[in-house]
Order: sequence, then structure tokens, then C-alpha cells
Amino acid sequence: MERLYEILEEMQPEYDYHTETALIDDHLLDSLTVLALISELEDEYDITIPAVEIVPENFNSAQAMWKLINRLMEE
Amino acid sequence: MISYCSIEYLLIFLPVVFLGYQILPKSVRRYFLLAASYGFFWYLSGPLLAWHVAVCVCVWLTGLRLQHLLNERNKAVKAAERGQRKAIKEACAGRMRRWVILAGVVCFGILLSLKYTPFFVENLNGLFRHLGIHIQMKVPSFAVPIGISFYTLQAMSYVYDVQKEKIPADGNFFRLTMWLSFFPLLMEGPIARYGSLAEKIWEVPRIQGENFQKGLWRILYGVMKKMLVADRVNTAVELLYTDFANYDGGMVFLAAVLFTLQEYMEFSGTIDIVIGTGECLGFVLPENFNQPFFAKTISEFWTRWHISLGAWLRDYLFYPLSMSQPLKNLTKKCRARLGNHYGPLVTSSVALFAVWLFNGLWHGAGWSYIFFGMYHFSLIVTGSFLAPPVIAFCEKHKIDRKWFFYRLFQMLRTALLVSIGEMFFRALSLKHGLSMFARMIRHASLSSFTDGTALKLGMDLPDYLIVAAAVLFVFVISLLKERGCNVRERLYAKPVLVRALVTGLLVTLILLFGAYGKGYVPVDPIYANF
Repeated sequence: MERLYEILEEMQPEYDYHTETALIDDHLLDSLTVLALISELEDEYDITIPAVEIVPENFNSAQAMWKLINRLMEE
Repeated sequence: MISYCSIEYLLIFLPVVFLGYQILPKSVRRYFLLAASYGFFWYLSGPLLAWHVAVCVCVWLTGLRLQHLLNERNKAVKAAERGQRKAIKEACAGRMRRWVILAGVVCFGILLSLKYTPFFVENLNGLFRHLGIHIQMKVPSFAVPIGISFYTLQAMSYVYDVQKEKIPADGNFFRLTMWLSFFPLLMEGPIARYGSLAEKIWEVPRIQGENFQKGLWRILYGVMKKMLVADRVNTAVELLYTDFANYDGGMVFLAAVLFTLQEYMEFSGTIDIVIGTGECLGFVLPENFNQPFFAKTISEFWTRWHISLGAWLRDYLFYPLSMSQPLKNLTKKCRARLGNHYGPLVTSSVALFAVWLFNGLWHGAGWSYIFFGMYHFSLIVTGSFLAPPVIAFCEKHKIDRKWFFYRLFQMLRTALLVSIGEMFFRALSLKHGLSMFARMIRHASLSSFTDGTALKLGMDLPDYLIVAAAVLFVFVISLLKERGCNVRERLYAKPVLVRALVTGLLVTLILLFGAYGKGYVPVDPIYANF
């Protein structure tokens, strides 16, 4: 989880990812950042994130992303 | 063409549907609603309804087939060793993909054949002429069913969602058909997803007083937008776009602004009537507009204008393309060289190009629509490309990007760029659009605003004043919505006398200031032809 926070802070340092829960809904992360983030997460955790998983519920917070990563790692 | 703002719809069709819907028992009510939807379709398109039924049958059968494959796969995965599971899933995904492609060929095939064949044949003939090949094909002409572009996208979203296990396939053909033919959505959308609507329509709840009242206000607000503004500026818009060569640049600019205003009032007004109709019946239909002219960039504009189309393109084209293996590989390479902003920008530009080509062509079979798509594609990519230097510039020169006047500048700039795009969209052809743009620049002048020309466009001073007052009213309502105030909710909390007074006032405003009768030609539903 700590590594995920690091990745997010490297991407967009201006937000507090420990508390932010509407990263997509509030347009804090744009589609370019999401694409870069997905590419980084796939490399870091050796997972494949399918297009169908790119929904606000999976990317609105670091917690939601962590849940997605764990689910995809188990599959 | 009949519209949702016509007397036939508002004073005959809707009351009959509301009455029948309310008095019939639940078991019959849903079939009554389906019959009403198909009756509405038949009234607008006659036997072309058969194309709609064909699409419904196609996606229903495809959905069932996909669900069967998924069920079989799940059983096999459960019984298999852990190491074999991936191979089983991949084999199933391949089989499902073939069914999805088949459904796509049928659904988009009908759309392409009916709507785009004349355009392709015309261009092929032109190409042959250009190359000196003496082959000229007869340009066919097909009647196109109402709303084909809307229901085709809805139908394909269902197939994709079943394939990706976002929703289970619907075994009930009538429930699926009801969602694909629901009469308020037929002509101009919004493009509603199966998962958010089909089940709710099928429940056919009784009409509730609160919903009905709020829905009625929404309908009246939409009628007001359409009749006070869109219809009132119609004569001027028609004249300026036909005879632009007789006017100076100022008038061509006015044409761009008036059409943008007309399109917004017509389209969003119709959507108000559509959503209001749904609300009267007790259904929440998706919103299609979110105060688009408060957008600060073109990208943001497209998250506020025709939201359901933007969301469809994002979910079913942009992300699937961006997440395809070749583009993922490209993203990795570009990120390594160009960083986290410009790297993905290269990849997303490829996906965005496809999205905007599709968006342009979806609006119509013509080069002006393709140009419209490419215009917005260029603006969005340029905007993303310039974002980092602009931020750096503002920081260096201590310009607060949240400052009111900076945001106002951004909004006005976006509105100007949108209006220019709409000029190409409305122009009779791409050639006309380019000529209008050239005229606007080369013959730039404000004299026609002072020499009385603006009052000879089929609009006199009272017309302009009514349009200005109505726009101001819509602006105030939009501003309140933007600040989180739900106007109808507040109004509903008032005593019944106040509510009745407001309802009466809206009806009076429409009757007194709506553009109808001699001297006015109401604008046809702009998006119904798409």
C-alpha cells in the first residue's frame, strides 16, 4: 500500500491520497494521468487492468485502487 | 417533423399515455407502455420499425449466447486445476468476441447501410471522376428509422456489458425491447445504459404526485427553452446560413453565436422534456447536460455537453482502444521518453483520433461533420499539450488560475471556440463552412449591428429582447444549479398556491412569448436526424 501512495504522489503530488475519495468524480485525475497510472500499476504489480475496470469506483481513492490491485493479483 | 415540443406529443400523446398508464393494472401497464413506444415509433417511421425490431432480436439472442458461454466457462473454471483456468478463460473470451463482432456487424451494418451508403457512393464517384475512371454509380437513397444512431449505440453497449459481465443477459425479450424503444428516448437520447434503466422501466411504478409535478415543471422549462429561444431565432439562423455571402463578418459571427444558442436551447430543451416525461412516470433518465457553457476547456465542455454520448465513447471506444496491447506498449515506451504527461498524450491522441472521427461521423454522413470531429480533436490535443507550459507561465507570473476573471476568460474562450465549431456543424456543407469562416475574418466589421441589418433578419427588437430575457432566465437557473441549488426541490417545498402560480406563470410565458403561428417556423429537432 505504501508503494501505491508513492506512485500516486510521483504522478500528481498535489493531493493527499490518504484522505481523497473522489479523485475521478472531482476530476482531480484526468484521463492522461489515469493512463499513466495504469501503465505504472501494471508494471509494478504484474497485473493486467482491463478497460472494463476503468470506472470511478476503482480509481476514486487509493483504497479503491488497492482493492482492485489485490483482486486482479488473485485472478 | 413532429417533435417532443409539438401539440400532438404534449397535449394528445402524453395525456393518453399518462392516463392509460395510471389506470391499467401492473401486469398490463408494462405492455401498454411498450405498445405506446412502438406506436410512437410507427407514427414517426412507419414500417422502418422492422429495422429496430431486427436490432432488438439480434442483441437479445447475442446476449443469451454470451451468457450461455459465460455460464459454461464458470462451470469449467470451477472444475479445473488452477493452472488451466487462464486457458479456459481465454478460449471463452475468443468465442465471445466472435459473437460480439457478429452483433456489431449486424447493428452497425444496418446503420451504415441506411445512413452512410449515399455518402460513400457519392465520394467514390467523385474519386473515380478525379482519377479519370469512367464509372459512376447511382447514388441510392434510403429512408432511415428515427433515432437509429441512438438505439444502435444503446444496443451495442448492452452486448459489450454482457460480454464484460457488467450485467447479466436479459432472458425477457420484451424487457430488453422496452428499454431499447422507450418513447421519450427515441428521438434525441440520452443514450441510456441497460443496467441503470431496463429493470426500473419494467417495474412500471404508479405515477406519484411529487414526481409528476416536478416532471411537469421540467417539461415546461424545456418547452420554454425551445419555443422562446430556439424557434424564435430560427428564421435568422436559416437566413444567415443560406445567404451568408450577403453579410459582413459581424453577421457571420452572429450566425455562429445564434446557432450555438439555438442548438443548446433546442437539444437541452428537448432533453428537459424527455427527462421530465420519464420523471412524471417515475423513472430517472440520465442527464445529458451539465451547464456546458461554464466549461473552462474544450475537454471539460465535452463532459458537460451531450454527456451520454461522451460517456459511451469513453467507455466503449476510448478506454478499450487505449487499453489494447499495442497502445499499452506505446504508452510504456512514450512514458519512458516523454514523462507522465506527454507520454500518455501520444497514446491517447491515437485513441482520441478514433473517438472524434466516430463522433463526427455519428452526427451525420458528411465532410462537415468529419471536420467538426477533427476540429474538436485538434483543440483537445492542443489543450492537453499546452497545459503544462500554461500552468508554468501562470505560476511564474503569479496569475491565480482560480481567480474569477481568469476563469471567466477561460469560459468565454471555450464558448467562442465551441461557437466556431458549431458554425462548421450547421453550415450547408464543409465548403460553405470554410467560406463562412473566411468571411468572418476577412470582412470583420461591426457596422451591420448599428446600421439596422441585424433587425432585418426576421427578428425585430422585441424578438431580441424576448430571446435575451429567456437566456438570462436560463443563465440564472444554470448558475443556481452550478452552485448546488436544486430549484425544483425548493419550489416543491413551497405552499401549493405558490407552486400553482409558478406553473401558471411558466405556461403564460410560453403562450405569450413562444414563437409560434404566422411568421415563425419552428426548428426541426436537430439531433433527431442523427
